[in-house]
Amino acid sequence: MSEADQSNAVWESIPVGDDLGTMDYVMTEKMIADYREVVGNPTAAYPTVAARHPANLFYRKYRAVMRVPNTGHDSQFFNPPIAGKRIFVKATVADKYIRREKTYLIIEATATDEDGRLIEISRLVGLARPTTRPALADVAGKWEKKNG
Amino acid sequence: MAEPLKVGDKLASFTREIEEAKMVLFERVVWDRGSNSHSDPEAAKRDGMSKTIASGQNQMAFYHEMLERNFGDAWVYGGKISARYIHPVYGGDRLTPHGLVTEVGEVDGKPRVTVRLWVERQDGTKTSVGTAWAGQPSDKRSWIREGKAS
Repeated sequence: MSEADQSNAVWESIPVGDDLGTMDYVMTEKMIADYREVVGNPTAAYPTVAARHPANLFYRKYRAVMRVPNTGHDSQFFNPPIAGKRIFVKATVADKYIRREKTYLIIEATATDEDGRLIEISRLVGLARPTTRPALADVAGKWEKKNG
Repeated sequence: MAEPLKVGDKLASFTREIEEAKMVLFERVVWDRGSNSHSDPEAAKRDGMSKTIASGQNQMAFYHEMLERNFGDAWVYGGKISARYIHPVYGGDRLTPHGLVTEVGEVDGKPRVTVRLWVERQDGTKTSVGTAWAGQPSDKRSWIREGKAS
């Protein structure tokens, strides 16, 4: 089986609608303060940006076989997280497609807090590749040529 | 009171350097992903790159800051964004997010402003492009006043 075939075999095995399960964590004051320090924005509303909910849940299920380096995000933000509140996240594979001979997975994660407040819905646009192939190997070369 | 935006308006912005050390820390705050091509030069090489690159979410943080500053509550409570990362960002790069209002209207009786987005590197290269949607700008910063995310 060629490398391309292997790539497609893994990608094809992941169905649209696949339940990626759930996770939860407490958004602590320290996490918020650290995030704000790192991004240089002392009032940043959504430290969940660094939590990468879609990727986080995807890798709990598929880390051994597939990577989804992100080429984009489609997200909506409803209520900023509150320090000390537990955040519950669930995710699914929302879509998959091939574009310019590359395989993509769209992973959607919904986050709510312990009081039922909707925090955000985030869709990761992942350039799907099997773990047997270096991440971004094909596009990295092109990028770095552009960079000189 | 915040002035309503109109088509052709540009959002107020800022320029900031992506510091290598903070790029690495970005991978550890909230969710520590361990070693990867955004935080470890050896992992980057294994992934076919000559050095570490900033994650797309790091650029997303630039968009958030610009939109928070310009829209206040109108962005933070209900804002929507679609962004694509089209060129790598390295430690030491200086990034400027941009926003240009392309449409102003109403959806379900509520104001809706559409903003074309892009992030530019110090040499003028666009590193990300996208679109954001929010209501007309608000003076309110409720997430700060109410102690949310603080």
